[in-house]
Amino acid sequence: MFGLGGGSTPQVSSQQKLQAAEAELDMVTGMFNQLVNQCHRKCINKAYNESDVTKQEAICLDRCVSKYFETNLQVGENMQKLGQSGAFMGRQ
Amino acid sequence: MDQLNIKEQQEFQTIVEQKQMKDFMNLYSNLVSRCFDDCVNDFTSANLTTKENSCLAKCSEKFLKHSERIGQRFQEQKYVSTF
Repeated sequence: MFGLGGGSTPQVSSQQKLQAAEAELDMVTGMFNQLVNQCHRKCINKAYNESDVTKQEAICLDRCVSKYFETNLQVGENMQKLGQSGAFMGRQ
Repeated sequence: MDQLNIKEQQEFQTIVEQKQMKDFMNLYSNLVSRCFDDCVNDFTSANLTTKENSCLAKCSEKFLKHSERIGQRFQEQKYVSTF
């Protein structure tokens, strides 16, 4: 039926590619900014007794980042599960 | 994700630079707010006290070092999850 030449994959326009790249950049930057703010709140002592990050604070920060990424995955999975059960309920 | 060709990469680089500038401005105002909130609480004078100035200096430096560390850990995590 499609006797014309050309690939079977649709051509993604330049603009679409740039928009997708920009969206990904925004997502990553957004996540990073959240991480900076929240881990500062959870780990850094506001008395500012010194200008360096203490050893204890550093350990807290490392763990904070790790847990944040894990949380990201976990919540994503939870949302998927909730979405699936929601869809089934909708069909009935 | 589709790879960008040279021309698209250049265009994207312009977008990235604009965002970096905007991000830096946000960082700056965020830092001012944060350090003001944490350090400046003595309104018996209209000028910053020595204690407050000292606190501001530490606050700023600490935040930047904190941000740097987060950045390092973030990079490590990001590459793990991509593969």
